[in-house]
Amino acid sequence: MDIEKQLPPFEEWLFGTEAGELGALWAWLLGGCALLVAGMVASWVFGTFMHGPGKAGDKIFRVLTGTVVDLLHTSPRRVFALARLAVKESIRKQAIVGLAVFVVVLLRLAWFVDPGRSDPARVYLDELLWWTSLLVLALSLLLSAISLPADIQNKTIFTIVTKPVRSSEIVLGRILGFIVTGTFLLAAMGLMSLWFVNRMLDHTHDLSVAAAKEGEDELVRGGAGFTQMARGHMHEVDLDEEGNGLTKKAQSHVHRVTAVKRGDERVTYEVGPPEGEWVARVPIYGKLSFRDRGGQPTDVGINVGNEWMYRSYIDGGTKAAAIWTFSDFRREDFPDGKLILELNIRVFRTYKGKIDRGIAGRMRLVNPKDPAVYHDLPIFFAKEYTLDRHEIPLEFDHEGNKLDLFRDLAPDGELNIELSCLENAQYFGMARPDMYFLKREGLPWVNYAKGHFSIWLRMVLVTTFGVMFSTFLSGPVAALANLATLIGGFFVEMMMRLGTGEEIGGGAIESFIRMVQHDPMQSKLDSTIATNVGLFLDKVTGGIFIVVSRLLPDFEALGTSHYVRDGYDIPANLLAIHVVMVLGFVLPVVLIACVFFKVREVAK
Amino acid sequence: MQSQAVVTAPPGSPISTDVVIETRNLSKIYRDFWGRQKVRALKALDLEVRRGEIFGLLGPNGSGKTTTIKLLLGLLFPTSGQALVFGKDASEVTKNERIGYLPEETYLYRFLNAEETLDFYGRLFNMPAATRRQRAARLIDDVGLGWAKRRQLKEYSKGMARRIGLAQALINDPELIVLDEPTTGLDPIGCREMKDLILNLRAQGKTVLMCSHLLADVQDVCDRIAILHQGDLKELGRVDSLLKVRGETAIRASGLSEAAQQEIRDVIARHQGQLLSMDNPTTTLEELFLTIVRDSEARPGRRSASLNDGRS
Repeated sequence: MDIEKQLPPFEEWLFGTEAGELGALWAWLLGGCALLVAGMVASWVFGTFMHGPGKAGDKIFRVLTGTVVDLLHTSPRRVFALARLAVKESIRKQAIVGLAVFVVVLLRLAWFVDPGRSDPARVYLDELLWWTSLLVLALSLLLSAISLPADIQNKTIFTIVTKPVRSSEIVLGRILGFIVTGTFLLAAMGLMSLWFVNRMLDHTHDLSVAAAKEGEDELVRGGAGFTQMARGHMHEVDLDEEGNGLTKKAQSHVHRVTAVKRGDERVTYEVGPPEGEWVARVPIYGKLSFRDRGGQPTDVGINVGNEWMYRSYIDGGTKAAAIWTFSDFRREDFPDGKLILELNIRVFRTYKGKIDRGIAGRMRLVNPKDPAVYHDLPIFFAKEYTLDRHEIPLEFDHEGNKLDLFRDLAPDGELNIELSCLENAQYFGMARPDMYFLKREGLPWVNYAKGHFSIWLRMVLVTTFGVMFSTFLSGPVAALANLATLIGGFFVEMMMRLGTGEEIGGGAIESFIRMVQHDPMQSKLDSTIATNVGLFLDKVTGGIFIVVSRLLPDFEALGTSHYVRDGYDIPANLLAIHVVMVLGFVLPVVLIACVFFKVREVAK
Repeated sequence: MQSQAVVTAPPGSPISTDVVIETRNLSKIYRDFWGRQKVRALKALDLEVRRGEIFGLLGPNGSGKTTTIKLLLGLLFPTSGQALVFGKDASEVTKNERIGYLPEETYLYRFLNAEETLDFYGRLFNMPAATRRQRAARLIDDVGLGWAKRRQLKEYSKGMARRIGLAQALINDPELIVLDEPTTGLDPIGCREMKDLILNLRAQGKTVLMCSHLLADVQDVCDRIAILHQGDLKELGRVDSLLKVRGETAIRASGLSEAAQQEIRDVIARHQGQLLSMDNPTTTLEELFLTIVRDSEARPGRRSASLNDGRS
């Protein structure tokens, strides 16, 4: 799994680093204060035109204090009453139709996705999470944006605001109600898809004595030592003398085979359910550094010509190596005594070689404090897009001595693993998350629930923004504004790159000029008046992009479906950061919604 | 709106000096998107409504009645001036705890039934569940919708919707009831029941502010009225006093012979008075209609006694 941004510890992310990096909390407070001041100044300028400076200031003060009073006097009973109403309204507006659409999605997957694909779990999980996200967000977007304007248009709001109901209660009631509706839909979709995935992945194979043990050619597909075909694949079997063991991996999973002796001394085999098809690995990552071909330390490897600089490469047959340093590496983290190292490196061949064999590589476990103490693991052959799994022994011989991994190689909880490519003119490419120790395997359904929690967080944001827009815009316009926020939120990083000039090819006008002039993306443009004007306009829009990207939630960053799809446990740390991020947007947006609803006339 | 004990305050009875509603120089200008003036709906209105009275806002369409009510309820904000209810600014939410409001149309959630509707509005007043249930049951009974309390409001006729609208306005047992065109959509019986109810509310010491362009309704129930026209206050005062025709005297008597009637004519002539009319008085159409309906209910299948009297 590619993780471009390293996940910081939660406290570090929230409060900042000792190196002086600003924490999210302080950035949020600063941004919030700046926004508040900018909003007040803009309101005062506008109010001055309408009412004069004194009255404008008085009105702003009244609105702000009134909103604070509203928030402080918010009654939970009224909020729940309004939330219940919103739920009933959602049901009346046929929000339940979302479930019917989801059933169609399930049917499509069942009928049209070939179960014989190499990794069906990945396809099912990816599609189901995508559709769940789409349907829940679309429904939340519409419901939250059109409800309040419809109430204002139908004048049903008259009977609410003439009761002792505060603007905060109306806003919070709506948000809560639509969140409850969305949660119900999400939970229903999650349970349906969980059942679906389990049902689609669950299978077993038939295995006869002759095929498995004696190698006779009796099975349907003819291959001795193979299970029979099921769900578009079969497994090679490798059993011990007792007749037990695991099948070989196919479609990313294995089966446990157990021999059962019957009364007539004949043996039958029971093939268990698939294992490892749907997993939630909990990895322990290290830090990555490099040695160049001369053996000198360096931060990055070499670039083999990829525009995407995520991975660095080391050249084979030289002293170049990638070095992962694992800190806080303790025996207690591996209670069952099994140390699994997984490796997912890229291979770049400058000549074809033996294409079906893979490129030879070596891993060396090194004590970082004393590099003379090391242990070489057996040579392995790396293939492109293949996850290699290595079981690391806890004890091994070194120059006649018995070494203990934790005692001798990682005495202070620090261990280096040096990876090198052994073949001349071939390259290994790697990024930090491409090598990790497997701490444990989490429960897949728990990970699936975490993936849904991430969708839920997005839904909360969409709902909150929708209700906020609906406090001052008409229904269709509020829905469009909400949609723009959602789409913009998926491109926050790109907007930031455009603003800071990091985007290759430049902004909209520069890109257009390049297209017209057939200029390559990385070349410098000729300095003409038209070009300079274009670049200036790009700078102006870039500035706007920076402001907008600071105001929009990063919906892309909130996504965790790739963890579920690729079989990695979603870190609690990441979810905690996401929860705080969402809260960081929800709180000011609710406040803005309360202010907007307070200052608007609900009647015409 | 079933049988209620109607206690009518005698005409000219003293009205409390305790002011419930007060407007000071209250003005409202409607503007377009660009802030340009569209309509000047209300011009410097000064008004006081006192505790325990039924106050009527009267005027043709577009005179500013509904605007005044919306300003008092905080649905609109004044362009200038002030609107005070129970001494608090109209934008103050807490005043609504003592107010019941029946809008011009029944703006209720059509997917709720009568019980759910009253329960919902009761929750908005932070009422405990037992109180909500008890009060909702009583009000549903009072407005005569017991038989339809489980039906969604979208299935209600206009009159039924009006009744449940009234019930929601009374759910909090308000001190001030604001009624916007209260008899709209009601049949004559419903109108009479509504008027009886309004009088009954006054008898309970509540203040009623109503606006209507049905003059008969206002005349029947209101203690004081304000007449608005094009946003201006044109007249304000007690109904009985405003309706009194100065310089004319009305005599109503029964059992007078022709000779006696002639004698009265002579007396008027002797005192240089001018006899304008002397005839049998007529009832109102509303009275006639109600008499016929009551008669029909008492004696089903028979032609009304009033029609047999030769009035047809």
